Amino acid sequence: MIYVPFRESPRPGRIALTGMRDALGLASITICFSLIGIGGLVRDIGYPMMAGALSSALMWAGPAQVLLFGSLAAGAALPLVAIAILFSSLRFLPMTMSLMPLLNEPKRPTWQLLLAAHLVAITNWAEGMRRLPDMPAAERYPYFCGFGTTVLVSGTLATALGYYLVAAMPPVLAAALLFTTPMFFTVNLTAAARTAGDWLPIVISVAIVAVAPLTIGTDYDLMVAGVLGGSIAYAIQRARRRSHA
Amino acid sequence: MTLELLRQESGWFWPYLVVIIIGFLPTELWRVLGVLAGKGLSEDSELFRWVKVVATALVAAVVAKLILTPTGALAAVPIGVRIVAIAAGIVAMLATRRSLVAGLAAGELSLIAGAWLSQP
Repeated sequence: MIYVPFRESPRPGRIALTGMRDALGLASITICFSLIGIGGLVRDIGYPMMAGALSSALMWAGPAQVLLFGSLAAGAALPLVAIAILFSSLRFLPMTMSLMPLLNEPKRPTWQLLLAAHLVAITNWAEGMRRLPDMPAAERYPYFCGFGTTVLVSGTLATALGYYLVAAMPPVLAAALLFTTPMFFTVNLTAAARTAGDWLPIVISVAIVAVAPLTIGTDYDLMVAGVLGGSIAYAIQRARRRSHA
Repeated sequence: MTLELLRQESGWFWPYLVVIIIGFLPTELWRVLGVLAGKGLSEDSELFRWVKVVATALVAAVVAKLILTPTGALAAVPIGVRIVAIAAGIVAMLATRRSLVAGLAAGELSLIAGAWLSQP
């Protein structure tokens, strides 16, 4: 879908509504499919449905939610679970940082940026990085908030629904449901990659994760792929920029 | 000890307390730090370029792990089927002027077909 900028400067509310409308498509469908499963996990450990919904609204991080409820099911010690979640969510730091130049132009008070930052998760981040750069700077913040809030509310409702639904599903359907998340993120990331340089971090990172079980093990592979793989890709991109300039 | 006491004292509120303290605080911390570290960043700075590439690599790594070492029902689908389905999704997306719907649909259909055909 192509974003059509407004002709005269419209009110932020109208732009936010446009974001909400655009979110009620693939982005919301994908997040619903991926968070339905969380509802099932929450039910398995005997927590109330509202605790699952709260986890989606507050944590807003699928992998960390799987980690939380999966660890509770396995009877892990709570402080260790908190540390594991801390490490697994480190990606939000560079993700949030990289959205800031798009959202903070014109300059906004910190509390407004914090509200927008709460919406950062893979779906909203990938959609933001794909959609926002082509938009007029002043329209980006309200658009992102409208879009992101809609996806977050959809995901929260899906978690509540999944609480009652997951147990009754046939295996092939359950597999297809679980496959939606990685498939959507894959096309989303690769659709935003236009040049060979854009493909570099994706290809290098996937290669590191693929060989990790045979070499560095799977405990730190995310960190190595992200920080080391990303830095290698950055160095190559920079060298190419220099040689073209 | 303290945690056990808190658990008994909080009663019905305990699951919500776990979600807030063990789940919410450690994830939100990075978003808050991201705002503080990123709000002064300019789109043309080298630091911004590096952070953007690292974020992309981290997301790609999370996605690769979901595909290569999945949990639950997806783990029962052979790894070859999963990889071919991802490739089919990318090709369909590129062939349709980057339509995400086409990519997602092609990937899902390939996965369902592959999972169904490879059933014993």
